[in-house]
This record gives sequence, C-alpha cells and structure tokens, in this order.
Amino acid sequence: MKLVGAGAATAVVTTLTLATLSAQGRGGAPPNAPPPTARTAALFDITGYWVSLVTEDWRYRQFTPATGDYVAVPVNPQGKKVADSWDPAKDEAAGEQCKAYGAAGLMRMPTRLHITWQDDNTLKLETDAGTQTRTFPFGKTSGGAGTLQGTSLASWDQPRAIFASPIPNRGGPQVRGGSLKVVTTNMKPGYLRKNGVPYSVNAVMTEYFDRLDVPGGESLLVVTTEIVDPEYLTTPYWTSPHFKRVEANGWHPTTCTAR
Amino acid sequence: MKSLRALLCVCIAATGATLLAQGQPATASASAADVPSGPAIDISGYWTPTMNEDGMERGPGSELHDYGGFPLNEAGRLWALSYDPSRVTLRHHQCDAYVTPYQMRATGNFRAWEERDPHNQRLVAIHWWAQVTEGHRVIWMDGRPHPPAWAPHTFRGFSTGKYVGNALVVTTTHLKQGWLRRNGTPESDQATVTEFFVRHGDHLTNTTVVSDPVFLTEPMVRSNDYYRAPVDHGTWLYACDDSEQIVGRAPDVVPHYDFGKQPYAREYSERHKLPLGVAWTGAPSMYPGYADTVKNMTDAQWVALLSPTPGRPNETSKAVDPEPRDGEIHVLPIRENVYMLVGDGGNIVVQTGDQGAFVVDSGTGRLSEKVIAAIAKLSERPIQFIANTSFLPDRTGGNANLGAAGMDPSLPGSFFVNSAPRAVTGLFADPLRHATIIAHNNVTNRMQDAKAADDAVPGDTYLEERRRKSHNGDSIELFYEPSAVTDGDSIVFFRRADVIVAGNIVDLTRYPIIDAKNGGSVDGEIKALNDILNRTNYEHEGEGGTYVVPGHGFLADEHEVVEYRDMVVIVRDRVKAMIAAGATLAQVKAARLTADYDTRYGANTGPWTTDMFVEAVYNSLKPAPKTN
Repeated sequence: MKLVGAGAATAVVTTLTLATLSAQGRGGAPPNAPPPTARTAALFDITGYWVSLVTEDWRYRQFTPATGDYVAVPVNPQGKKVADSWDPAKDEAAGEQCKAYGAAGLMRMPTRLHITWQDDNTLKLETDAGTQTRTFPFGKTSGGAGTLQGTSLASWDQPRAIFASPIPNRGGPQVRGGSLKVVTTNMKPGYLRKNGVPYSVNAVMTEYFDRLDVPGGESLLVVTTEIVDPEYLTTPYWTSPHFKRVEANGWHPTTCTAR
Repeated sequence: MKSLRALLCVCIAATGATLLAQGQPATASASAADVPSGPAIDISGYWTPTMNEDGMERGPGSELHDYGGFPLNEAGRLWALSYDPSRVTLRHHQCDAYVTPYQMRATGNFRAWEERDPHNQRLVAIHWWAQVTEGHRVIWMDGRPHPPAWAPHTFRGFSTGKYVGNALVVTTTHLKQGWLRRNGTPESDQATVTEFFVRHGDHLTNTTVVSDPVFLTEPMVRSNDYYRAPVDHGTWLYACDDSEQIVGRAPDVVPHYDFGKQPYAREYSERHKLPLGVAWTGAPSMYPGYADTVKNMTDAQWVALLSPTPGRPNETSKAVDPEPRDGEIHVLPIRENVYMLVGDGGNIVVQTGDQGAFVVDSGTGRLSEKVIAAIAKLSERPIQFIANTSFLPDRTGGNANLGAAGMDPSLPGSFFVNSAPRAVTGLFADPLRHATIIAHNNVTNRMQDAKAADDAVPGDTYLEERRRKSHNGDSIELFYEPSAVTDGDSIVFFRRADVIVAGNIVDLTRYPIIDAKNGGSVDGEIKALNDILNRTNYEHEGEGGTYVVPGHGFLADEHEVVEYRDMVVIVRDRVKAMIAAGATLAQVKAARLTADYDTRYGANTGPWTTDMFVEAVYNSLKPAPKTN
C-alpha cells in the first residue's frame, strides 16, 4: 500500500513538473512580433487633465505654514534643524524658489496635472503649479539626475506572488488592472512642505498611481507615495494625494514661489 | 468587572453588527454567484494607519472651526459653526461611535479577516475591526442587496463589496449621523460612501468618497494609508459606559452656539495668521488657486459666513423618501415578535403571539386591506388591540378598517360581560366584532369633536401618566406625553422586546409637527423626546439596544432620537433668543434659524413646512398677551 502511495506521489510530482515546464513554453508574444510598448501594455488610461483635491493637510498645502511647523512629517533632528532655518528670501536670492516643486513635494501642491505619452515608452506629467515636468520612462531610467524632478523609472504593476503556482491553472486568475509604479531617485534636495521641511539627494520616492472610477461618478487618480530619506527622515513618509479628472480648461501655469 | 463588561460589549458588537446591518441571510444563489467581480485581493491581517497626513486631526484632535478642504454647503458650515464640543458631555452622546468615513481615519489599529462559506469556500464577507470604538464593519461579498430605505442605520452602515481591477470597491449606505472631522464637521444619515482598497505590498490605501446631499456640495475624497503589521496589536477592546459629566444640568440643555455667536470663531485664523473664514468656504477651498481667490475678502464678508445668508428661500430636505409609495405594505421584523409595517403613510407596529395581535397606529387607512393581510400573515390570531399614539389621521386613519378585521375576545363571555358587551363596556364598537382601540382620553375627545365614526374612536382610554398591559408575553406600557405634537400623545413601550413606538413625536422625514391648535407645544415635544431617551439603552457604543419606531422614517435607535432632540432644542433656543430680543414672527422667519437642518428636514410645500414649524415654535414660546 505504501509502495502504491509512493508511486502515485511520484507520478503526481512528475506530472506537475512536466506540466509546469510545458506551461512555461506557452504564451508570450508570437515569434517575430514586436515587443509590446508601455503604451500598448498600459493597464489603464492615465492620460488627460487631473486637478488635485486638497482635502488632507489642507492648511499646509493651500497656505505656506510657519517655520518649524512639521507636524506629522517624520523628520529627524537633522531635518528639523534644516527646517527651522528655512529662509525663503535666501532661496529667492539663490534662484531656488522652486525647491518646494521638486518631485517629492510637487504632487502635494494644489495643482493640475496634464499627463500624456511623450513616446510609446515614456509618460510625461506636467503641472501648472510651478510649471514643472516629470518624465516616466519604462524600462530605462530617465535623465535628470541632480534636477528637481530627479531620475524616474516606470513600470506597470499588478498584484502577483513572487513565485508562480507550481500547479498549472491553480494559481488563481490574474488580476485585471493595476498601478503605474514610478521610482524616483537622484533628486536635487528640496522641500516636502513649502516651509522648508527638507528631503535630501539620497531620498528615494516610490509612487503607485491608481485610477479609481467611482461608479456613476468621477474618475480619481490616487498617488500612493513612500519617501525614504536616511538623511532627514526617521521613518518612511507616506502620503496619498488624489486628483480628479477634469477637462483642459482651467489649466493655469504659474511660476514657482518660495513663500 | 470592567473587563467582563468590555468582553460582553465585544460579543454583543460582533453579534449585533450583523443584526443591525439588517442584511439578508447569505445564500449561494445564482444571482450572488453572478455578481461581476474580479479575483479576490487579500486584505486580511493587521494594519496600522500612518498619520503622515492630517496627523494633528487624527491624533491629538482637530482644531475648532477648521473645515478647510471640506465641500460643505451652507447647512454643513452652519451646523459645524453651531457645534459646541461640550455636546459630547450629554449622556446620549458620550459613547457615540465613529461613522465609517471617520473611523477609517481614526487613530488605532485595524484587523481584517475573511468569512468564507465552510461548504463551498466562497467569500461571504470581509470583516474589518477598528481598535478605537470597537468598530466592526462587515463588507458583504456575496451579492446581497442593500436593505430598504426604512431599515435601521448604523455607525458603520451597510457595506457591500466587489473586486474591480486591483481594487476592492465597497459601497456603504444606511449610515448614522456622525462626524467627518472630530470638530463637529457633520456627516448626515443620508450619506453614502464608495471606498477603494488598493494594496501595494504591505501598504494598503483606502480611498473614501463620501456623497452627502444634506451637508456637501460635491463628493468628499480622502485617502488613508496603512502598513501591514506582522504581530497582533492586541488591545482590541474599547469599552464605553456613559455617566454624569455635568451634574444638575437641565434635561433640555444641548450645548451649541447661536448663529453669529460663535465665541471662538477667530481662534484658528489668528493662530495661523490666516484670513478669518478661510476654512469655511466649502468646495472652493479644495482646489488650486484658492489662496489667491480669498486674499481680497474683507472681514465683514467672512463674518457673514457665521450666519445664514439672508433673503434666501429655505432649503428643502435632500433626504431619501423612506415611504415605498408602491401601493404595497412592507414588513420589517424588529425584534422577537414585533414588526414594523411600512407603506400606508405612517409606520405601523404589530406585536404577535398566542393572544391576538397588538397593533400600534393604523396608518392613513388607504391601504388597510393590505395592512390587514400583512398582519394576518404574521399572526394566527386576529387583531385584539389597536393603540393610537395621537389622533392625527396618519395614526388613526385605519382604525375602523383594522378594528373591524379584529376582535377582542377578552370581553365577550367574561364575568363582567355576558351579553350586549358594547352596551355594558361602553366601548364604541362591539368587542365581539371589533378590536379594542386604546389611546389617551384626549385622542377620543379630539376625534369625537371631529365627528369621527364611532368605530374609529378609541373606546378604551386613560387619563394620566401610564396605561399598562401584559400581552403576548410582553409588558406593554403607554406613557402619556402631554402637549407634545398634540395634547393626546402616547409613546408605547414593549418592555421585553425593547421597542418604543414614538408616533409623530419622532418624525425622521420632517420637523416635528407642533399642532398648537390641538394642544401641542415645543417644550412638550422636547420633554417627550427626553422621556423616550430616559427609557432607551444602547447595545454597543451608542447604537442598537432599544429600537424606536418613528411616525415616519427608518427604524431608529436612541442615536436618531438624540440627534432629533438636539435639533428641536437648538431651534427652540434660537427662536427664544430672538423673542427675548423683541423679534417679530416675520423677523424670526427671515433669520432662517433652521438653515443648518433644512436640507435634512425642511419643506416649503406640503402639509408641514419649515415656516409652519418655526411659527409653531414661535407661538408656543411667545408669552400670551396680557389681558385686563
């Protein structure tokens, strides 16, 4: 009986292995077909105009808070020291009035977004607040190291396990839809809040853009954001600014202001 | 002892959440299986909220009069500005739980788990437990419909979910009135919420979209972030018992500020060196360019926001009409053998058992045949008693028909009556062929004055505080509420079932009728509401427990009664203050003293308008002219 059981188990394992190997050979792009571009592989349509809904941290975002007001930002003592010495006049004199409009602060500005495909593998995100442009290339990092908007790398992200199920067709169906994931590094130091709460050149920002369509209502774009900055933050800084899809009218480019 | 009580609370909460939600039993029906939904995304586990956004509000507490970024309409703004945080010292507010949109932002940890059918492993529900207030949400995933408009509301509401793309999308209805922010920024019981749960590894984002036609001009969107915790947080209990916090306070005191009299209005703006009312403008404050649009506003313009805009017509109710108006009678089981019947122009209550049915109020009478048929399905025995909570036609309109369909077997053949019972008992209808109708004696007087048919008029009356009966295994008490809606109001308390029938003393569809011509008064109405509150108990965190059946509107508990009581007291106090200042009725009406409640209860047409209510309050408060 034991022998029969062991044999059966072996057969199952063999079958599974073969099935797995066989499964690995199926699917994918047909031979000689061009690889899909990021645009054709898009999980959702992110393009168009979006306006920020400033419903959280309202006072900090609609008005410039007082020096040293860094409530709820996990700044470390070094970060506090920098924030406490914020001097907008000094920024203006140095031509650095856009320090709050860098990638790590930009998305929480009251702003409109205009998102387009720059090419088949690069998304472009423009803001009318501060008239900034971010680019999200897929498969390779963007240029821009050392600039306010830094270097970004984009990908389409779907919930999935690290390993495929060992049993074919038993790993569950693939989730439809997903997120645009953007990892941004090499940013020129800037401000998380307009009152000089800092992030450093070592900050790494990971963003997930999710389009949420309210049944019978509006389309929302929620940007779940994690900023890790070993220089100025004690823990990751998590925010999720959100935007509402709108028409083009209302686009109102402005220059950066330091105050 | 405390821990035992807390444990009991949790058990009750876990059981009660399902009962309160009024959900239909889970079934593996074809329709449930056909619910379009993507593959499940696991949100089970322990979650800790990050407070990097709105950290001050969600932790230590929000600042007074900071409503920036909320699309409040005029009613919402005035409601918030009238709010005095001392209101939570009132006994019936002390244990108020958080409504879902606020609960999801509250401090404290969360735990989520799946409930699967043990036989087919289909996902039945996702449970979400909030540490603070022991907030237990059930998100039904089995395709069941939302309850009807007349079903109870809860702090968590009734939620259903489905998977769309990479999100769990949840729709919540049947919420109680509560806060969007802990400084009194209101959310009404008409709000509905759409949520999106999206998981990115160990980071969960919950985006809430609140639509509230009563207090908001457009949906309110906020997003909450949580990180997954690998270890049980523990401390999931949050017991609450109310107690005396201010001793000796009169029962008709509700802390609030009259319009334009908010003493701390400048505190927020001065602290942060901002223009006075910059956080009170509603939706414009959410959008880019706001700072520029308000920079030229004058102080006088800001001060004007503290009061209703003069010269505008009163707003009208934006609430869902809870009357089905489909020509049918709908039965809502309340508890044990007590049911609420909806559809005949006013809520009817039926208690059944091995004695005859005990009915409270008979509706307008337009659908009596269907009411009788519905009762016949609930009770093998005929209607034996009908109690009327007042003489008004939506309470007594079906008396004759329902009475004729019943009989009172306790009289014929008794020692006292062995022939011609009508003549001997003095009842207006023959108990052999008619149910006995019970009410306060003034109901009978008013109906006889109005030349009502004999068989519609209560023949079994009482005069003073209480009438009691033991029937169908319950102790039923009628308490007289003198000079409330009329001079003949009763509330009917089923003690064992723990159900109070309030009649039109509680009318969740409009301001209370104060029928001054027939002996009603605003102070009597407030006393009656407080009498109800003196008899209610909550099951858990300010909800459940004693059910209160309003004359119109959804099945309530003490939370709806206390919010309604607060409203009547606040409006009375505002009118009283203007009378004291010498205002005429026209001036009182022009002041729009109900502006923060009109989008919930107001009407400009129909049998009971906002103007009629204000006039009734004014007349019942204004001292009678001196006579020589």
